[in-house]
Amino acid sequence: MLAASAALPLVALAGCRGVGALAPPPAPAPDVDVLTTVIAGEQLLIARYEAVLAVPRYRAAGLKATLEPLLAEHRAHLAQLRSRLIVPAGAARPSPSSPARRPSRPVVPGSESAAVAFLRAAELQASDALLSQLGKVPPSLAQLLASISASEATHAAWLQAGGPAG
Amino acid sequence: MSSSAAGARDAAGSRLAASAAAARGAARAAVSATVSATVSALEMALGAEHAAVYGYGVVGAQLTGAAQAAAARDWVAHQVARDDLEAMLRSLGAEPVPAAPAYRLPAPVLTAHDAVTLAVQLEDRTATAYLGLVAASAPAIRRFGALRLRATALRAAFWRGTTVAFPGLPASVLARRPQP
Repeated sequence: MLAASAALPLVALAGCRGVGALAPPPAPAPDVDVLTTVIAGEQLLIARYEAVLAVPRYRAAGLKATLEPLLAEHRAHLAQLRSRLIVPAGAARPSPSSPARRPSRPVVPGSESAAVAFLRAAELQASDALLSQLGKVPPSLAQLLASISASEATHAAWLQAGGPAG
Repeated sequence: MSSSAAGARDAAGSRLAASAAAARGAARAAVSATVSATVSALEMALGAEHAAVYGYGVVGAQLTGAAQAAAARDWVAHQVARDDLEAMLRSLGAEPVPAAPAYRLPAPVLTAHDAVTLAVQLEDRTATAYLGLVAASAPAIRRFGALRLRATALRAAFWRGTTVAFPGLPASVLARRPQP
C-alpha cells in the first residue's frame, strides 16, 4: 500500500510528460503578438526613411546628414526588438509574405519639406502606437517599448527643428 | 426542483462563496503589493526630480542668453513634475520624501560646457527613474511613466545636440539577451 502510494507521483509525472508530448504546439504568448506588430511598425519606418533617402535630389539636399543618424537608431530598435522575439518551437510563425516581413514600398512626397513632414508624422504615429501596447506586455518589454517610443518622439522633434542646428 | 438538487446547489454556492472570499483576500494582498511597488517607483522618480531641480539651478548659473532661458524652462518643467509626483504619492497614502538641502554633483560645474554635460546627466537619470514606473502593473501608471520619459528624452536631446536610440535604458540591459 505504501509502495503503491509512493509510486503514484511517478505515474502522474509520466502521464504529464505523455500528454505534453502529444499536445498541439503552444499558441504564441501575447507579447509575441505585440512584438510582431511592433517589429512590423519599425520595419515600415525604416522602409520610409530608405525610400526618402533613395531619391537622389533629397540626398543631395543635405537631408542625408539629418536622416541617416535617425535611420541608424531605427535599425538599432529593430535589432533589439528582434532579439526579444522568442517564438515557441512549433508555434505558428508569420509567413514570409505577411506584412510583418515585407512592408509595401512607400510613396515619397514630391518636395523636401513634404518628405520631412511625412517622416515626422510617421515618427509621431509610431511613438503613439508603442504607448498603446504598454499595458499588454511584461514589465521589461514595456520598458523597451517606452524607451523606443521616447526615441521616436525625439526624432519627430528633430525633423521639425531641421536637425541639431535648427 | 428536488431537495437533493437544491442541496447540491447550496453546497456549490457555499464553495463558490468560500473561493470568492479567498480570491478577494488574494486580490487585496495583490493590490497592496502593487501599490507598494508603485509607491517605491514614484519615490525613485521623485528623488530624481528633486536632484534635477537642484541641478538645473547649478546649470543655469553657468549659462547665458538663450541657453540660460532653456535651462530656466527645464528647471520649471522639473518643478512641475516634482509637484505631480508628490500629489500622486499623497493620493496613494504615502508621504513624499522632501528634497535634500544639496546634492553631490557628478563633476565640478565651472564652465558652460560642464553645465550642458550636467543637464544631459540630470535628464538621463530622470529618464531611468521614469522607466521604473513603466514597469508598474497599472496601465495608467505605465502610460504616465512613458509620457514623462518622452518629455525627459526631448530635453536630453536638446542639451545633447543629438538623439539616442534608447532613452533611459542602461547599456547593460540592451546587451542582455533574454533566456527562452
